[in-house]
Amino acid sequence: MHAARSQPRLSRHAGSAEVPTLAALAVIIGFVLWAHLASGIPVFNSEVPPEPGWEKFRADYGISYFGDDGQFVRAVQNGYNLFFYTYKYAPRFTRTRAGDRVNSCSACHTVEDLAYSFVNSDRFDPRLGERLSFEDRVRGCYAVSVDGFVPTVFDPAVRDIRLLARAVAHHLQLSEGALRK
Amino acid sequence: MPKPAAKLAKIALPALVLGGLYLVAIQEHVQREHIRDAAVALTPRCIEKLEGYALAPGKRYESPYVLQRTGARIALRGYSEEDVRAIQRGCNIVDDTQGRFAQDPYAERWNAKRFLRGSHAACSNCHRGIGDRHDAAGNRPQGSLHLGASWVMGDMYDRFTGLLLPYEFRQFQCYMNASNGYKPNIADDVIRDVTAYTRFLSAAVDMKIANHYEEQGIDEIAASATLKQGDDYVRGEWLYKQKCQQCHGPQAFGQEVSGRLVAPALAGRNAWNLQSRNNFYFVSTILAGFICRNMPPGRENTLDNQECRDLAFYISNLPRPAGDKQGPLVAVQQQLLMAVMPPLLRLGASSKTPGPLSRGNGE
Repeated sequence: MHAARSQPRLSRHAGSAEVPTLAALAVIIGFVLWAHLASGIPVFNSEVPPEPGWEKFRADYGISYFGDDGQFVRAVQNGYNLFFYTYKYAPRFTRTRAGDRVNSCSACHTVEDLAYSFVNSDRFDPRLGERLSFEDRVRGCYAVSVDGFVPTVFDPAVRDIRLLARAVAHHLQLSEGALRK
Repeated sequence: MPKPAAKLAKIALPALVLGGLYLVAIQEHVQREHIRDAAVALTPRCIEKLEGYALAPGKRYESPYVLQRTGARIALRGYSEEDVRAIQRGCNIVDDTQGRFAQDPYAERWNAKRFLRGSHAACSNCHRGIGDRHDAAGNRPQGSLHLGASWVMGDMYDRFTGLLLPYEFRQFQCYMNASNGYKPNIADDVIRDVTAYTRFLSAAVDMKIANHYEEQGIDEIAASATLKQGDDYVRGEWLYKQKCQQCHGPQAFGQEVSGRLVAPALAGRNAWNLQSRNNFYFVSTILAGFICRNMPPGRENTLDNQECRDLAFYISNLPRPAGDKQGPLVAVQQQLLMAVMPPLLRLGASSKTPGPLSRGNGE
């Protein structure tokens, strides 16, 4: 008798337990779809937002040599965004804002400066008394020129600047130690 | 102990330990600065290599090799004394990673040996000609793993790791897998000096950034480049005995004579591990390509594609250490194989053909 009474109660409990499970699943699926399709958050999207001037830069510097898409081209595009819109793409490493006079790498350098700096890096700097890598110089710029903080050498904020420099150096057909004419 | 004294000890002890560590770190830094400032004793091959490229401090650098090959005088940024020393140390590390020629391996090679297991691993085992092999006519052969060519192609997508692989990370892989060792820090002088040397090589032979050169990497040999007889262990073993055994030994444990490495181990504890790209079961095209383009020394390109694949297949089946990511079971299995197989093979060989070849050279 007791068992017969408890049977329907059990099944009622099972049914009610399914509702929150399904709701949780729906929330997770909804979040994943929103994150990947609608959020625009970079970490969920492998595409790099195209900033003004990218297509011209891509054509001028022959970035398509490395393919239409793919990791290298995307990293170069992110490097382009970092270089010209530092305040927007590296907010963790700069205190500058859009309205500031010096708010990006491009305020002081051209991309060709960057390429020449890349092929002349890993050299002794007599002022500092040590050999400096390209990454050290980029980190120095974040810390001093854009009034910010130092990223690690592995951070895309450093790596993608190096890849941008490498792509431009390739277009200019620079070799190690090339001097500006 | 009275309470105040115990409290004081609780504070003083960690402070002393931390202070001691700080002093050790300071001393290490000072020592490293001394090494960076000290004159470099070059290995005989590095003397020849760097003199050939006229490396010297100065405001401008012009490569005599480029002048001789192309007739063009290309003025590049010169090197400071500090840069020259870094390049020299890098050349020494590539040529003599284990510090066999060094009086003080710590000071002269940054003790690169601490990142290697075994006594045979060295960069120049694979990157022949100290990473810059030339044939008799001065050409850089295809698939010769030229370090300068590797530098100009750094940061490119690597299909094995799925990463945009910086040049420094490539060096990590050499230490971890090809040398069955450990990963140095990216800022370690061992890494930075080798980078300085390879960047100099790319300048000395006038390589352009991100151009692909034939001497970069290995000229891989896929099964489709053979007559499709399949890769055969027995043919590989027979070929090994004919072509390789004389230098690498009957069980491929390499050969050392009076402390000098004649040929590195291809199997056993001194060889590359199972996670190396040389391992046929990981990438079947690389070791075959290396053999075809670089072996036997002096008679390169004499083996055909099928022979190289058979040899690579045979060599990859010999016992070797497990890689770091393969877990303890595979590690134990490989250690067991390395312990059990050599004496068994020696026993088998001695019962068949008694003679000098049946004696293992001992590992």
